Parts: sequence; C-alpha cells; structure tokens
Amino acid sequence: MNSFIGKIKDAFQGNDDFFCKKQIICGESVFVIGLDSLVELDKTLGELKEYKVIEEIEQHGEELADIETAEASLLEGKLLLARTNKDLAISLVPAPVSLNRSIESSSNENVVLGSPISFNEDIKLNIGLVRKNMKSQHLKVKTYEMGKQYKKEIALLYNQEMVHSELLSKIQDQIAKFMNQAELECIQDAYKMLGLKKWSFVTQINTTEIPDEALRAIGKGRVVLFIDRLSLALILPGVLRDMIFLYNDHNYPYPLMLSVRLLRIMGILLALIIPGLYVALVAVNPEVLRIEIALSVAQSREGVPYPAIIEILIMLLILELILEASIRLPSSIGPTITMVGGIILGQAVVEAKLVSNLLIIILAAATIANSTIVGFQNSISIRIFKYLIVFLASLYGILGILVGLFIICTYLASIETFGIPYLYFNLNKGEKSSG
Amino acid sequence: MDKSWQIVVMYILTHLGLLFFLYPANIIESSSEAQWIPIVIGVILHFVIVLIYLKGLSYFKNKNIIDIYSSFGKLWTILLLIPTGLYLLMINIIMVRAYSEIINIIFLTKTPLWAVMLLILSISCYLSMQELSAIFKTGFLLSFLFLPLVLFVIAISFQNVDWRYVIPIWSSDFSFIKKQSYLNSYFAIGGGFLFLGFIQPVLSFRNTRILIGLAAIVPAYLLSVYVPVLTFGQATAETFIFPYVAAVDGINISWLMFDRITMFFLLCLITFIMLFIALVLWKTVRITKYYIPILSEKWAAIGLAFFIYCICLRIPNWSDAERLFQINTPLRFYVILFVPLSIFGLGLWKKRKEGVNG
Amino acid sequence: MKRYLLLILLLTSMFILSGCWDNKDINHRVMPVVLGVTQQDENYEVYLQIPQPAGGQIESIVVSGTGKTVNEIIDHISANMERSVDLLHVKVIVVDRELAEKGVKDLISGFIRSRDISSKALFAVIDQDLSTFFGAMSSEPKAEGTILLDFFEKSAGWDPQIALTRIWEVYRSIYSYTNDVAVPLMKLGKTTLVEHTGSAVIKNGVMMGDISANKTLLYNAFNGESTLGKIEVLDDASVMILGEKMKFKSKLEEDIPVFSLFLKLKVTILETINDPSENEIKKELEKLLTERYQSLFEQMKESESDILGIGQYFRREIPRDQLKEWRSVYFPELKVDFNIEIDIQNTGNLKIRKG
Repeated sequence: MNSFIGKIKDAFQGNDDFFCKKQIICGESVFVIGLDSLVELDKTLGELKEYKVIEEIEQHGEELADIETAEASLLEGKLLLARTNKDLAISLVPAPVSLNRSIESSSNENVVLGSPISFNEDIKLNIGLVRKNMKSQHLKVKTYEMGKQYKKEIALLYNQEMVHSELLSKIQDQIAKFMNQAELECIQDAYKMLGLKKWSFVTQINTTEIPDEALRAIGKGRVVLFIDRLSLALILPGVLRDMIFLYNDHNYPYPLMLSVRLLRIMGILLALIIPGLYVALVAVNPEVLRIEIALSVAQSREGVPYPAIIEILIMLLILELILEASIRLPSSIGPTITMVGGIILGQAVVEAKLVSNLLIIILAAATIANSTIVGFQNSISIRIFKYLIVFLASLYGILGILVGLFIICTYLASIETFGIPYLYFNLNKGEKSSG
Repeated sequence: MDKSWQIVVMYILTHLGLLFFLYPANIIESSSEAQWIPIVIGVILHFVIVLIYLKGLSYFKNKNIIDIYSSFGKLWTILLLIPTGLYLLMINIIMVRAYSEIINIIFLTKTPLWAVMLLILSISCYLSMQELSAIFKTGFLLSFLFLPLVLFVIAISFQNVDWRYVIPIWSSDFSFIKKQSYLNSYFAIGGGFLFLGFIQPVLSFRNTRILIGLAAIVPAYLLSVYVPVLTFGQATAETFIFPYVAAVDGINISWLMFDRITMFFLLCLITFIMLFIALVLWKTVRITKYYIPILSEKWAAIGLAFFIYCICLRIPNWSDAERLFQINTPLRFYVILFVPLSIFGLGLWKKRKEGVNG
Repeated sequence: MKRYLLLILLLTSMFILSGCWDNKDINHRVMPVVLGVTQQDENYEVYLQIPQPAGGQIESIVVSGTGKTVNEIIDHISANMERSVDLLHVKVIVVDRELAEKGVKDLISGFIRSRDISSKALFAVIDQDLSTFFGAMSSEPKAEGTILLDFFEKSAGWDPQIALTRIWEVYRSIYSYTNDVAVPLMKLGKTTLVEHTGSAVIKNGVMMGDISANKTLLYNAFNGESTLGKIEVLDDASVMILGEKMKFKSKLEEDIPVFSLFLKLKVTILETINDPSENEIKKELEKLLTERYQSLFEQMKESESDILGIGQYFRREIPRDQLKEWRSVYFPELKVDFNIEIDIQNTGNLKIRKG
C-alpha cells in the first residue's frame, strides 16, 4: 500500500461511507476509492470492467497528484482509481447515487397559464432548464466556487446583449471579493455576499421557482444567480415591479393582463391602507364617515373595552399567527388551523364583544388584498409597512395615513441595488429612465 | 440623464400644494372684481422669469447655480447665494409654521402644534437626507397615488358654481399691485421654480418639457381663485381665510361612502407641501454645505431641521405667521428677480467672452 | 443594536402618544344629527337630537341646555353626558321662527368659522316652539336617529317642493348683494311626524317672510333642482311633470331691469274631471303657473329679498358698486315677462279629446 492511499484513508477516517477496495480491472490490481453515499459502486465497476486495457480508462480520468484535490474530488462524488504501484490516482466520474428530485411542478408559486415546472436543487439542471428555453449564444453562464469551508457552486446567468454592464461588473466584483470569505447557504448569505444592506424591508434579491420568470428577467437585462442546492433562481436586482408584474400575465390577452395588474396594484394599496383607515376613521376622524355608516360602526363597537389601535393590533397579531401557523403545520393538519382561526375570527371574538364586527371585515379584506401581491417575500414587506400606517393613523388620523404612504414612497425611492433604483420600471440596456 | 418628466411632475405637485391654500385669499382680498387680471399678471411674470432662468442655465452645461456663482468669484456668492439661502430658510420656516397651523385649523383641532410640526419636519428632513434623485422619484410615486384624487376633487369642485359671478370680466382698477396681500400672493408664484438651478448635473432636463409643466399649472392658478368666487361671490369669498377649502367643503356627493372628501384633498396637498419643504431643505443644505464644506449633508439637514423647528416653536400665532409673509416680501422679490437675471447675464457674458477667445 | 433601540424608542413613544389629542373612539362620542337653536332673552337654548345604538337598534334621544353661546352649551352638555358631544355629524340645523326673524347671522358665521359642523348641513326654520317640536321627536317610537335628515335626503324623502338650503348658502346670503335664500319651514304634523308648510325667505341672515310650498316648487325649478314627478292639480285634471326647460333674458331699460322667463314643461296626464280637451288643460296649467310666478315675484319685491338671485342675471348690465343697491333700488322696479309653454308628452293609457 502506497503512501498516497494511506493519506487519503487518514483524511477520511471516521467516515463509514468511505471505501477503499482492491479490485482487479483489466488484469491489473487497483484500489478504487470513493464515498458509497455518492457513488453507485457495483454499477461503476461493471462499466469499468468492459474496458480492455487500463490506459484506456486512464484517458477518461484526470490525474491527481496532491492529496487536497483528491479529497475535494472525492467529496464531489468522484471515484478514485489508484494503481498499487504508482503514487498518484485517477479521478473518474462514476455512476452517481441519485440524490435529486426529478423536475416537478412548483409548490410555492402557482402558475395559472403556462408551464408549471420549477427549479430544482441541482444547479446543472437549473442552468439546463434556462438553456433549454433560451436558445441563444448571448446567454452566458459564469460559475464560481464559493465558500470558506464548505464549497458551493454558484452560477451567474445573463444575456450579454441586454445586461447592464455596470450591474454585471459590480456583481462580479462583489463575488470576487467574497470568494472564500464565508459560507453561502441561504439568501441572507447571498445579501452578505453581494454587499447589500442587511436592514432592508423589501427584497433586493427577487426569487422565483419558475424558469419562465427567470428567463424573462434575463431577457430584460437582469442577472440570475443560482446557488447549488437552493431550488430558487435569485434575480438581481429586485425592483418594485416584481410585486405587481408577472411574466405569466403575458399569457392573458392584453386588456385582461392590464386589468389583472391593476387589480394587484389596488391589492397593494388596500392591504396597506385599510387597517390604518379603520383606526383613523374610528378614533380620529369620524366626520369623514357618512352618518349612517358612522352610526353602525359606533353600534358595532359598543362595549369594546379598548381603543381602536389596541383592538386592531390584537386582531392583526392573531391573523399573522394564523398565517405563520398554517405554513408551519404539515398539510394534513393545516385545515384545523383554518377552522379554528375561522371560528375565532368569524364568530367568537365578535360575540364576546372583544372586537367590532366591522374590524373582522376590514382584516379579512386586508388579508385577501395582501395575497394578491406577487411573491411571498414581497407580501411580507407590505404586511410590515401596514403597521407603520396603523401607528401613524392612530396618532394623526387620515393625515397619518397619507404621511405613512409618503414615508413608504420615500423609503422605496431611496433604495438602490447595484446602482439600479428600486423603482426601476424599464430595465433595458443604456436607457436609465425610471418611473 | 434626462429626467424631464420627473422634474415636470415635481414642479406641478409643489405648485399645487402652494396654490390652493393661501393664494386664493390673497388674490380675492387684493382685487374685488375681474380677478383674472392679477392672476394673469402673476403668471406672465412667472413665465418670463422662469424662461430667463432656463435660458441662463442653458449657457452653463450641467452646472448648478452654486458652481456658477462660485466660478465668477466671491462677490457673486455673497450678493446672491447668501440671500437665496436666507430666503429658502425663511420659506421653510414659514411653510412649516403656516401649514401646521392650517392643519390645526382645518382638521386636527386638538392635536398640539408641536406634534404636527414635528411630523411635517421630521418626514421632510428624512426625505431631504436621501439623494436628490430619490426626492424626485418620491414625487413621481406620490403623483401616481394622490394626483388622481386631487384632480377628481378639482373637477367636482364646480358643483356649486354660479357662472354669472364671472361678470364683470374687465376692471380698470389696478390698485391691487400695491396691496400687501397681492405681494404675498407671489409666495406661491416665486417659491417653486428655484430648484431648477440646483439639480444639475445630477438630473438634467429639456427646457421644452419644463414649459409643458409650466403651462399645465396655469389652470390651477385660475381655478384656485375662481372656484370660490363662483361659488360664493366675491363679497362672501373675501371673508374666508381659505376660500378654496370652504368652496370644496360645500360639495355634496351622495354616492361616495365618505362624507368630507375635502379632507382627502387637503391632506394630499399637504403631502405635496411636505415634498416641497423637503426640496427647499435640500437646497438650503446645498448652500450651507458650500460655505461649511466639512459638514456632512445628513447632519446639515438634521441641524437645519432642528433650527427651523426651534424657530417655528417661537412663533406664537397665525397673525405673526402672516407677518412673516410680509417681512419676507422684499427678500422674495430680490431673489426671484435677481437670481434668474444674474444667471442670464452671467451666461451672456460668458458666451461673449468665449466668442471673443475662440 | 442601535437600530433596535431606535425602533423600540419609536414604538414606545407612539404607544404613549396615541390616545391623546383628537383620539376618541367613535363609540365614546355622541353624534347629534339635528341641532336646534332658539333664543330666550339673551341666552341661546340648544336642542340636540342624538341617535343612539341600543340593543341592536338605533334610538334617538333629545338633550338640551341653555347658555350664552352655542359652544358653551355644547361643552356643558358634553360634561354632563357619559360621552363627549361631537358636532361633526350634524346634518340639519333648525331654528325657531322667532330667532330667524331676529337674525341668525352670528349663529351661521359661528358654524362656518369653527368647521366642526359641516358647511353642507341643511338649514330649516320651525314654525313652532322648539321644545314641543323636539319633545315629539323623542317620543316618536319609530324615530330612528336620522328621521329628520331622511326627510331632506334626495334619495329618501325629499320632494320637489321642499327647499334644500345648506348653511354655506345661508352664509353666502349674509354677504351677497344679490342672492337670498329660501329655507324650509316646518312644524309637527298631525299624522306624519313633520309637516312641511312652505319656505322661509331669509335675507342677509334675517327671516323676511314665508312663501307657500307651491311657490317653493317654482323656486326649486328656477334654481335648476329637478321638479320631476311633481303632481300639479288643476280644476279639471291633475298632471305630473316629466321634464322642464328654463331660459332667461335680462336687459336694462332706462335703469329699470326687465326680466323675461321662458319655461317649457313636459307633463303627463294622470286624472281628468269632466273630460277636458288637451288645449284646455294646457291653458289652465299655463295660467296657474303664471299666476303663481307673478305672486311669487310680488311677494319678493315687497320684502326686497331676491331669493331667485335675479340680480345675478344683471351683473353684466349693472356695475358692481351699484349692484350693492340691487335689492333696494333696482329689484322693486323689476318687470317680469312670463312665457310658459306646456307640452303634453303623453296622456297615459287613455286617449284624450283634441282641440
């Protein structure tokens, strides 16, 4: 046994899935080394035994002399072939143990019209999905190896013709700077990698599961980032239009598309304003209501023991809890939450005179409106902004609502990602007008 | 970067905010009939000054007026930049004080003034601390949200109009020119356009598009005065401090779920005013920064806002706020006349010199 | 960490601050819908009709108080009630005839000044003692909070012969040279809750006289309020108005204003008595309306109050400084031409005799 194999054995000590077996292939005795959690050994050996001479096999592989690269290629799932008489190994691509899902339809984003297939954990497959749909020589794929301790592959995809050169070079600089600084596991790490602000209330990296959406983003001059083992495409930069526009809308006739998008804009506004409006009208500016409505509101609030702001905060909290709980629970128990929540919100709270029944309507409307927003992460932003308006409304009434909208507008206007403002609507190359 | 449309929108929004509160009362008080004459005189003056200003600025490619004055020596900066800075600071004080009082009179009667002023100032300060392009983008976004509502209310404000109040159409009485209230009306005319000289080179614009904005705002001048006059008649309209507000108050729409739509209208205008205050604050910061270069812009904005807040707290009542308008008059005319003229003159001079040299 | 602290500081300050100032929940406010004012000696007496939710239904109660100014009284009432009185929703303001004849200028100016009461609130005069009127209101079992309001609501109980005058219009008449207003005049009815008896003519904030309900219809027609659906009863028929068109002409002949009025009415026939012909009905209606208009103008001239705003039509002819004397100098001299044209649009299901 030579020193090379000994070193590798030392390095993988304590790993029971490590194997190093003596085999006779093409009449020569060799060691086959690998991790049986990643390599399908029997199948690979069967294939290897079909070769006549060992040199032929060696042509397929890569010669590895130093121990570090050997370790790395083992971890990547390769098979090492070491001749007993030589002090080097050859890495081969074996038949892998299948650890990937097949391409499935997306589970977190719904597609009404158009293909429902979604990205997957395998970065190669994801890139392949994009390539398959965009048959253009302008589509460029740049891959990097990232991570301090755990290596991870990432890929940048962009359309060379359309992409903002400034955007691209800034992203590449950031990636080069980050290279081996820290781990890259989740989207927050991606924020860190790209040097984006940690305290951002809107998503500056838009994510999608649907290849169509990623394609469209590339076609519009944006950059798509894949991280291996993350079944999402990260679209850079995230902009406001991601909340409203979906590429899939183009599958509707044009007027229908416009009305659907208008509906989403109204959804955003309603989700933002309605809870605040309730507080403002009930507590500060009741003169704005018509007398008939004012009287029925007063009647419905009769006996409610606390001020409107507390009332709405309690109910909003319960609502947010229900939303969060229904995500956490397995889908078989999920309906229970819906039922319990429905009973609480629908009947019991009102009958116990803890909140007014108008508030239930308001909250239901706000929640429904909130769900029209494209992208779950975006809808959370709106859910948070809503509280700002509720608080301001409780202080300054209707003035507070408008001021709240003003602050939100200012906030959105002040965000820039890689020099591209968040309020960007036209992402075509060269043209820098925004709206 | 051509951002003409953003600038046009900003121009329209700030002027809408300025126009509908104090301007109508000033005009109605200054002339008892044929109010269009003082309005049109003001508008023409506005047009001429802005045209001169734009022409003057076009001689200096991508330079703001601070760069221009400083390139011509210390004397110019002392003669014009300091008064401009002072004027802007005063505008800010007046605006914050007057508009919080308006909010107090019109809706939040029991909310203390300091709270309203704090709200207006802190938010304007927050906006002015952002980059210039963010201020204009905010304006653009606000116009999407609030402008439809404002236009709707303006359209229905004709509900109670009696067109016969237009008559008499002509009046040969020009005594209004000397009246203080007429001079005060130039607050709405002269306050808004100076920003055009500050925004280059960050944002550039095309002069023709700015003219569209100028033209678009002209109907608002007439409407803000004529809607109350046509609704109440001159004799009654004169008794109001905010005639347009009173006229809109009388609108009755039975199919709307809200009763007092004036509220929404006025508050939208208040947000436009906050935009304006932020812009003026930003301009003041620029000038302060020129004289005290070590100051960071964020701290300058916070410091100025705090200073304005302290001054505003010391103005006890509405009549004192009105007196400020009066005190401000000479400075106002100095700035709105001499800044555009000097820029134009310097531009011509520079062009001639270049012509001789080249 | 700094950001967390800042956030917490902001949130707590918001919690502390909310619940101050203008914040009072709607169910802790009483929102009177009708405000009645009368004067006794130097003091005002104020009645408030307040709708109140009680056991799933809305009942109305009446409270009253006396004092030097309206606001003082409201404050006093507010202190004595379990909730605070909020005038923001007052929709109808009534005064009794006595106060109206004394003048309501200060009262109306006060309402306009404070902005608490919407300037869209309706104004009416009660031809009766206010305490009796409001007493009946509160004892009425079916008097849902908004009963008096519904009486005026165009989508509910309004009728073309009720004048609809809002307080900003009354305020305008105080300063205007040419515009006076007619406000509804009411009292308690025998079978219905209220009975509309005509309109009070208010000039410069003082009630000058009253006109009948029929003449109020002409007033409304003149001001462009729709008279559709109004039924006119003649000696030999009753007709319903389907449409109207009005045109005016004004000129000044040697300082005497001459006003011509062209009225075109479209009617349908509802009932006939003794089988009249189409022409007979037309003629009779023309005569009726002309007479009515004439007597309206006579009455207006007599009291020198121009509720139709005729002076407005002479703004071109009379310069503004002389228009100030419109009511006293020009208006009594006014000559009016009536040109009334009746068109019978249809006669219902039955034919009618021609000729």
